[in-house]
Amino acid sequence: MRRDVFQGIADPTRRAILGRLVKEKLNLTTLADDYAISRQSVTKHIRILEECGLVVFEKVGRETFVKAKPAKLNEVAKWIDQYRAFFEASYDRLDDYLKTME
Amino acid sequence: MKHTMQVETNGAELTLVRKFNAPRSKVFEAHTDCKHLKHWWGPREWPVSYCNMDFRVGGRWHYCMTGPEGVEAWGLMLYKEIIDQELIAGEDHFADKEGNSNTELPVTHTRNEFTEKDGVTTLRSVARYSSPEDLKKVLDMGMVDGIRETFDRLEEYLAR
Repeated sequence: MRRDVFQGIADPTRRAILGRLVKEKLNLTTLADDYAISRQSVTKHIRILEECGLVVFEKVGRETFVKAKPAKLNEVAKWIDQYRAFFEASYDRLDDYLKTME
Repeated sequence: MKHTMQVETNGAELTLVRKFNAPRSKVFEAHTDCKHLKHWWGPREWPVSYCNMDFRVGGRWHYCMTGPEGVEAWGLMLYKEIIDQELIAGEDHFADKEGNSNTELPVTHTRNEFTEKDGVTTLRSVARYSSPEDLKKVLDMGMVDGIRETFDRLEEYLAR
């Protein structure tokens, strides 16, 4: 199944997990404890994030850590910024214009 | 007092929500005629320099914004669904001067919904690309970078 960045960030739990991972790399057990959800369900979310290119796995000894890959998120943020800036400017002008409209 | 625009992402969709202190009929009408759009569409420094609109389902809006140094950005909106004062939905294409859609570049599917409560109109604008690859193309083009720089200058100017 094809995954894209938007699918990755569509789910609130995944967004929360990503937010956590941007600060530090964590192992699956720590993540599962943090969100009071089963390890199985955390693994499922992490797998989707990995397929979207938003996180990578890193083996340290016998432990597997999960790390965020913020470059992908920046792509999305950039597009949203540009789109938002265009309409923010337009709608501010529309506000002014509505006052003069007959 | 201006309302702040809210931005939501959901799956492959981007939603902008903005309120206006004006009746819905007016906010809707401002979207339906070049004589109105010329006054507000796009950043101030990218004024609408060409505008030809046939506002009906199956109709089209061919427009151009001209930026600093004369850079032209041509667009073509194809109207797919219109409900008077409630909804405008269509496809926004990159285009050329002759009004041909650029088939190499991605299409944005847009949906504008208008609702009114206590004299305040809420405009909900949803944008969607056909595929993640399409979105990637838009990003790669960096096409709006120029516009963003213009915003920055505009902000500086307004702050003086």
